[in-house]
Amino acid sequence: MSLFNTLIPSSPRPSSLRDEQRSADLVHTVKPAYEIKETPEAFGVTVHLPGVAKDGLEVTAESGQLRILGRRAWKQPEGWTALHRESAAEPFEIIFEHEHAVETDKVAAELRDGVLRLSLPKPEAIKPRRIAVN
Amino acid sequence: MNLIRYSYPHYRLASSALPRSPWAGLESEISRLFENVVSDYSAAVPPTRFPVDIYEDKANTYVRAELPGVNRDDINVEVTDGALTIAATRKVPAGHGEGEQSVAINRVLSLGEDVQSDKVAAAYENGVLTVTLPKREQAQPKKIAVAVK
Repeated sequence: MSLFNTLIPSSPRPSSLRDEQRSADLVHTVKPAYEIKETPEAFGVTVHLPGVAKDGLEVTAESGQLRILGRRAWKQPEGWTALHRESAAEPFEIIFEHEHAVETDKVAAELRDGVLRLSLPKPEAIKPRRIAVN
Repeated sequence: MNLIRYSYPHYRLASSALPRSPWAGLESEISRLFENVVSDYSAAVPPTRFPVDIYEDKANTYVRAELPGVNRDDINVEVTDGALTIAATRKVPAGHGEGEQSVAINRVLSLGEDVQSDKVAAAYENGVLTVTLPKREQAQPKKIAVAVK
């Protein structure tokens, strides 16, 4: 039984890394802009991942966590000099902790124009229920 | 002297092809680092301002703007009086109990004088807008062969 039936976003930090080795390109990641909405049936998460194509997107769900990793599809071509940078080239990464408040096998994801929309249905057990009174 | 207009009073203006201070890159890097740290504590709402990168090669100047979730039809790119204006409307689809919301976002960058404003092209892919600004002939480095007799 979990204490909270909600989505808690967390940013991966080197100290919180698990034992598994992270590949070199994932040492530095940036946290994308996101929005969480909740309805009685599901959580709706919108994550802004500009420059990420479908091939570079990984959505993994395991042990109460939903991890979104987006690698950018664009690389600075040779011969281009950067005059001014505001964006980062690092991959996007964000982890949502849900403590099993989400049915992970029914997660639906859609990536369009750099915006990922996730629909995370709640399990029957935590949906509000109307109890008939006899 | 160039007159510079901008949309974000609190934000350092990206002046494109103009010569820049050697510390400008470091400064923007430091503010970006701070922004990353501070953003953990701020509300995680999709931003209304958008980051812009400027690159150049021999023939063109390129402006890349991160505009995720904007329809192509809602992006306006204009070049007027030596300034590049990127204006976009982000529409958030209607959800539960909420109608469609739209947010207008825009940015103005000053351009150097060596841009061929009639040949500007723009492309939008994966939520990133790339504007290609060709340089004028005389701005491109030219090799002149000198015959030595």
